[in-house]
Amino acid sequence: MQKKKRSFWQWLKTYEGQKILTTILFLLVPVTCLILFTVIPAGNMVLFSFQERDRYGLDAKWVGLENYKTVFSNPDYFMTFKNSIYYLIGSFAQQALALLLASILCSKIKLRNFFKGVLFFPYMMNGVAVSLIFMRFFALGDGIVTQTGTVNTILQQLGMDPVKFLSDPSIANYCLVFISIWRYIGFDIVMYIGAIQSISSDIYEAADLDGANGWQRFRYIVFPSIKPIISLQLILAIKGAVSVFEIPYIITEGKFGTSTFVIKTHETGMVFQKVGLASAMAVVLLIIIIIVTLIQKHFFKESDEDKPSKKKKAQNGEVA
Amino acid sequence: MKFKKLLATALSLAMVATTLTACGSDDSSSSKAGSEAESGTSGEHVTLQVLTHRTDIIESGLLDELTDEFEKANNCTIEYVGYTDYANDVATRLSTEDYGDVLMIPDSVKLSDLGNFFAPFGSYDEYKELYQCADSKMFDNTVYGLPTALNVAGGILYNKQVFADAGITELPRTPDEFIGCLEAIRDNCEGVIPYYTNYKDASWTITQWQGLVVSASGNPSYEIDLLTEKGDLFDADVNGYYTVYKMLFDIFSDPTLIEADPATTDWEACKPAFGEGKIGCMVLGSWAVGQFQEAAGDNAANVGFMPMPNEIDGKINAQISADYCMGVNKHSDNVELAQKFVKWYVGESGLQVKENVIPALIGADYPEFMDAFNDVNLFVATTAPAELTGVFNTIDKDSEVGTWDGDTANFKIKLAEAAFAGEGEEAFNKIIEEVNSKWAATRDTVLAD
Repeated sequence: MQKKKRSFWQWLKTYEGQKILTTILFLLVPVTCLILFTVIPAGNMVLFSFQERDRYGLDAKWVGLENYKTVFSNPDYFMTFKNSIYYLIGSFAQQALALLLASILCSKIKLRNFFKGVLFFPYMMNGVAVSLIFMRFFALGDGIVTQTGTVNTILQQLGMDPVKFLSDPSIANYCLVFISIWRYIGFDIVMYIGAIQSISSDIYEAADLDGANGWQRFRYIVFPSIKPIISLQLILAIKGAVSVFEIPYIITEGKFGTSTFVIKTHETGMVFQKVGLASAMAVVLLIIIIIVTLIQKHFFKESDEDKPSKKKKAQNGEVA
Repeated sequence: MKFKKLLATALSLAMVATTLTACGSDDSSSSKAGSEAESGTSGEHVTLQVLTHRTDIIESGLLDELTDEFEKANNCTIEYVGYTDYANDVATRLSTEDYGDVLMIPDSVKLSDLGNFFAPFGSYDEYKELYQCADSKMFDNTVYGLPTALNVAGGILYNKQVFADAGITELPRTPDEFIGCLEAIRDNCEGVIPYYTNYKDASWTITQWQGLVVSASGNPSYEIDLLTEKGDLFDADVNGYYTVYKMLFDIFSDPTLIEADPATTDWEACKPAFGEGKIGCMVLGSWAVGQFQEAAGDNAANVGFMPMPNEIDGKINAQISADYCMGVNKHSDNVELAQKFVKWYVGESGLQVKENVIPALIGADYPEFMDAFNDVNLFVATTAPAELTGVFNTIDKDSEVGTWDGDTANFKIKLAEAAFAGEGEEAFNKIIEEVNSKWAATRDTVLAD
């Protein structure tokens, strides 16, 4: 152990110093942005949620937990979560479908890279563009000012009655859920493909030798290996379901019974200028997401923690 | 190496800087009217800065063209500064002393605060002889701003050709007659939508119906009476909210009178379609007349505008209200000249004629589309007494009734969707009862404070 006195500048020129300096420089931009655009506004939001204030923040009053009481006691606010159930169920279907498609795309079919591209493409599209496309797709139109949309044209060609997809409250939510599945499924497929391809081919070979069929291979090899990814996807799905905003806001503006909690939050803050109450609603949403994440951590704790330790043991064994 | 490091540091700093500066968007456009050369001619030459929301007529050059005359006569330069998000941007500037010499008074300034920001013009008694709606920006009998134009708060845009084709010779005078007109259009005109809801953009299009309410009441102090007499907001025996929204409900309930799918309307496409005679009527403010005339091209003469058809004692009533009012910064160095400019802009500039809007100057000619209002009783809503100033608005927002809003839980949206679903009278009564009780509860707490 040699100890030499060095000035700060000398220290900066050492490997250690260079490492830290580079790290700081690289982090400067993202961390500044993070603090400026996420941490400070989020902190303000939590503060505002204990206040009664308007858009300009003139004469803000501290009201304690009053806003939270309103969110939970007034059904006008809390009941807007009921539409999230549609999206939640939809996202389970989406996961199942994505897993199926990912399994198919991992087998040796022709043009599989092309299909991967096609399926992933919607995810890269802007939400506004997606909404505009589907407005055309589901439109009924009146044949005078607006044209009949894609689906209804096909229905009419087949001699069926046109359907008011977006203005019938009993089906509008299903249409919106369909759009959301269409848009986000590409991301799920890519995640699953990544997970499935990381499984060593040795295991498959061994399974083949043992005479495993397709289902058994999925059930005993693929599924256990991608369990962490599935759990992550489910959390993202729940998070997405409680915070739906973009697609219903653009396509129906939340009309015809398609309003969501976030649309209601937006209206409370912007239309009625109850910024305090809207902040409380946003904080409630944040807490719900945190709770879901904690449940997931608890639920999948075993499988998550078991794996790395087992792997390590195996590696150690090999070395030994 | 050293150079590279410096470069890296500089780059990262530059990136931080650009990310930060990118936040402040510069969406104000300014234009200098009059040439700079002129300014050398006299020592007294001054420049007035005018803040306005009319970026469109700054860009089209119309303002500069009209202002030349004023600049020459008064040896000054008028510099217009336009804001696309006027109300918000100017609200920020108002917190300093530097907010131009002349500006449109944003509605966020409370009437009682006007004296803190704007130079007084004079007493109301003097100005009410000269301008209509001179009390729009008035406090304690002192006028702080003059209306740049007047609007008919609400009315119905109709296609004259379609009405003629349907065999309608006289404009309707009651809601039932109006619905009768729509039925006549349906029966006599092929390929015409009698009433176009524009419901896809309901968050603002449905609020246009609110403009009919005070007109339908025929009572200039209708909204004040609602506070003092504490009646229900929707009262079947009082003309006003009930009349207007019952009409909405009845029209929207009949699928043969409106377009096939209210979820897929198109605001931009409806303008030319209206000119081509594919649409019978729409509820809109008088501000829309110019836009639809422009989109109609050669058929501009077919664009008609009628008041809310609700006859009271043999008279149709229509409320007119002020557009933005122009005021003068009390910190300005040239208050007198600035006030002269305001009077010129409001009265003599010729802008109102060019734009086909209703001038505030008493004695000035009304635009042509107002011919339909010749035997209509035009009135201005009574100013609320000091103790009730802003109270209606407070109750409206606190109760989340939102008379002027189109949020998803709004009573207008609920009424329209109940009508589309064909739920009938019962649903109508249930919705208005709900609104009445919400309103009454908040009114009682607000008035008790």
